[in-house]
Amino acid sequence: MIKKQILTVALMASLLSAHAWADESAIGYVKVKSGEASISSSNGIIAAEVGTPLHLGNVLKTGENGSLGVTFKDNTMVSLGPDTEVTIDEYLFAPANGELKLVASLAKGTLQYISGVIAKLRPEAVSVKTPTGIIGVRGTRFLAKVEAE
Amino acid sequence: MGVHKHRTATLSRLHLGISCLLLLSACSQSYVVLLAEDDGSLGKVQVTNQQGATILEDNQEAVDLGTEAGKTFTVSAEQIKEDFGAALAASPQKPLSYYLYFEGGGTTLTAESRADVPKIIDEITKRRPAVDISVIGHTDTVGDDQLNAKLSLERAKSVAELFQDAMPDASKVTIDSHGERNLLVPTPDNTAEAKNRRVEVTVR
Repeated sequence: MIKKQILTVALMASLLSAHAWADESAIGYVKVKSGEASISSSNGIIAAEVGTPLHLGNVLKTGENGSLGVTFKDNTMVSLGPDTEVTIDEYLFAPANGELKLVASLAKGTLQYISGVIAKLRPEAVSVKTPTGIIGVRGTRFLAKVEAE
Repeated sequence: MGVHKHRTATLSRLHLGISCLLLLSACSQSYVVLLAEDDGSLGKVQVTNQQGATILEDNQEAVDLGTEAGKTFTVSAEQIKEDFGAALAASPQKPLSYYLYFEGGGTTLTAESRADVPKIIDEITKRRPAVDISVIGHTDTVGDDQLNAKLSLERAKSVAELFQDAMPDASKVTIDSHGERNLLVPTPDNTAEAKNRRVEVTVR
């Protein structure tokens, strides 16, 4: 009986900490995926699946026949065509404290961006970097294509 | 048989080579194109490179990322489909937001808002397994702002509980509260305003 209680407490504690961790660090989720797609971070590389959480610094990659659609917590939507690489460099979404920032890099491939709350509240806080130029957003939707060198 | 197969492969490679030649500009280009949103609204995009800055403000207006600033061109719908078909097809479902309203001073939903709850649960269920939600509580300006910060959090928590069965993975539920700092209808302090006593639920 006591053992069972200890187990329950341990389980609850781990659930609570997992909850807190996920809330603090997940900045978005994978919503659409087809073909080969992966997410890498300093902890390694994982296959992207529908529902996989995104974290700051993640690199999203699609294979030759892959595509990926993600939605961030501020409702920004980004989707990637095949053979594409996108890094999430900066993401801050705490409108109550005025903290808003979204910076991503498109190294190669094709991308669709649809703006969310960050771009509506502070357009100058959003940018997408490419090897030859920086895209600044004024509350909108755009497509970008970067040919690999 | 083997010879025939080999010839087919050579031909299709040749064909690929020719279509790339015909579309040479598209095959080798890095560019940005502005698109209207599904509701027809059109924003602006500024592209800055070593040559300077270019503003895109027309639908399907584009600029090359590598070349001279200010030189824009229009991209045809066919070219957009060719270059971005897969990225467009991978676009997530648009997030939907709902407002639930409260009786003054507590965490009791108005009868009308209570009736809206099943609609939200339906939307959550439809979007499984990819769904995540955020629940943000607000108050009007009646009373102390510290107490209102607490009340708006209680409102958000009480609403999040309504979705516990639909959202068993608690890590995909974000609960936040803005107290009286984020009014839907601007009012002076100590003003009862039913529209400000709300919880915003966003289903992604």
